[in-house]
Amino acid sequence: MDRENILLGYIKDELLRGRKGDLKAVDDLLSNGIIDSLGILQMVAFIEERFNIQVPDEDVVFENFQSVKALSDYLAQY
Amino acid sequence: MSRIAYVIRDCGIRHVITNDMKLDQADLLAEDTGELACLIGATEREGMTCFSWDDVYVAATDAAPDIELTEQDLAYILYTSGSTGTPKGIMHTHRSGLSFAIWAAETYGLTPDDRVSNHAPLHFDLSTFDFFATAVAAATTVIIPEAITKFPASLSKLMQDEKLTVWYSVPFALMQLMERGGMDKRDLSAFRWILFAGEVFPTKHLRNLLAALPNVRFSNLYGPTETNVCTYYHVDSLPEDSDEPIPIGKPCANLESLIVDADDKPVAPGAAGELLMRGGVVMYGYWGRPDLNERGFYRRPVFGGHFSDRFYRTGDLVERLPDGNLKYLGRKDRQIKTRGYRVELDEVEVALLSHEDVDEAAVFPVPDGQGSNLIAAAVTPKEGTAVTPETLINHVAARLPSYAVPANVRVYEVFPRTSTGKINRRELQAQAIAESET
Repeated sequence: MDRENILLGYIKDELLRGRKGDLKAVDDLLSNGIIDSLGILQMVAFIEERFNIQVPDEDVVFENFQSVKALSDYLAQY
Repeated sequence: MSRIAYVIRDCGIRHVITNDMKLDQADLLAEDTGELACLIGATEREGMTCFSWDDVYVAATDAAPDIELTEQDLAYILYTSGSTGTPKGIMHTHRSGLSFAIWAAETYGLTPDDRVSNHAPLHFDLSTFDFFATAVAAATTVIIPEAITKFPASLSKLMQDEKLTVWYSVPFALMQLMERGGMDKRDLSAFRWILFAGEVFPTKHLRNLLAALPNVRFSNLYGPTETNVCTYYHVDSLPEDSDEPIPIGKPCANLESLIVDADDKPVAPGAAGELLMRGGVVMYGYWGRPDLNERGFYRRPVFGGHFSDRFYRTGDLVERLPDGNLKYLGRKDRQIKTRGYRVELDEVEVALLSHEDVDEAAVFPVPDGQGSNLIAAAVTPKEGTAVTPETLINHVAARLPSYAVPANVRVYEVFPRTSTGKINRRELQAQAIAESET
């Protein structure tokens, strides 16, 4: 599975826990309460564990976490 | 949404400020309440008067509105968690809001050159400083988009780029900034004051913040929403050898404080008791709740008993230190703070119990390791039924704001009991804490 689908699956199963039915890679994660600040930290930890990528604090910014698409674009450099 | 609909019905809101992206929510609310008459910021909706933002800008004038108001009249209502399961409306007048705003603008020396953060959402009473005190001083409010507040590194960049001079938030936001915001790489030299409120700032973290920003002054503000802010403490230095929590300080101007025992008698000097407050910043009352208005105030007879002074009962236990500062000790009831938000644990229990398969529910705080609390819950299902934590979290999320939704729910077959047969919440809490630490 590519990173995009893995991230989508993680958010749906672990962060949303079935609260919203459909989630697309381009959906805005931040303005609709899909992830909160705790959820962001959980995602950073998940990325470290699953992809073995250390996301530095200065990259944990709005632009990189706005959507699953933005996040996988950012992770593409690793 | 059902909570917003409740608020709309409870205080008879007829006009809603919104935008076209939220029209589907407005539809739901209109169906649910039947009282909405007008949408401001929406282009069109059947059966309702709408004013688009373009209409609003065209109609706006510089002239003051032609209305008769006194400072004793109602200005705004803020809803907060209520222990019976429905939120309660805290009514502030122009006087009570301005009392705080004018005091704050003077105390922190706000001028038209200041650039003040707005970090708290509008429904959180910290925002009254950001908008009212700033307006009193003709300073600038820098509204921080909600999405940015979730990213410490984005937030520290905004602090730098916007050249903020005054910051106001819950301690949690500042601790996140310290931990993950890369503040040392930012130019934050414009800052004059950092103010915080809503929760106790853990001293060891506050000490690090003071050391990181040596040219900035710090102030701890305290007050339930019912009093805006009623005490303050400037943190000029912290002892190196003690993590004793900082005090909440002394009453703001034009306020009288009392510390009383269970019979409303003043306690001996230095003894613990409930803090009562009287003065300009105190709310008018709770909207439509004569029961709460009766219980929420202590009326001290004066002038031969023909009149009375009205004190708000904060429900907070304090003691007065020898230097006159007040020290916060805890709550009288089951209200807690989670990341600065105030939540009545009983309200969360009521929400869980409203699920048809839940027999009993217990809700309690679990320390989050960051100086604040997360909410945890335990339930037992009704005989012959089964519930999952996911179902219950969704059930509560549909009824309460997101900060009041338990971070986890444990399902028990039977609850541990105290010797008197009550649910042993202490034991359940200890189990939840033990689990969170593993």
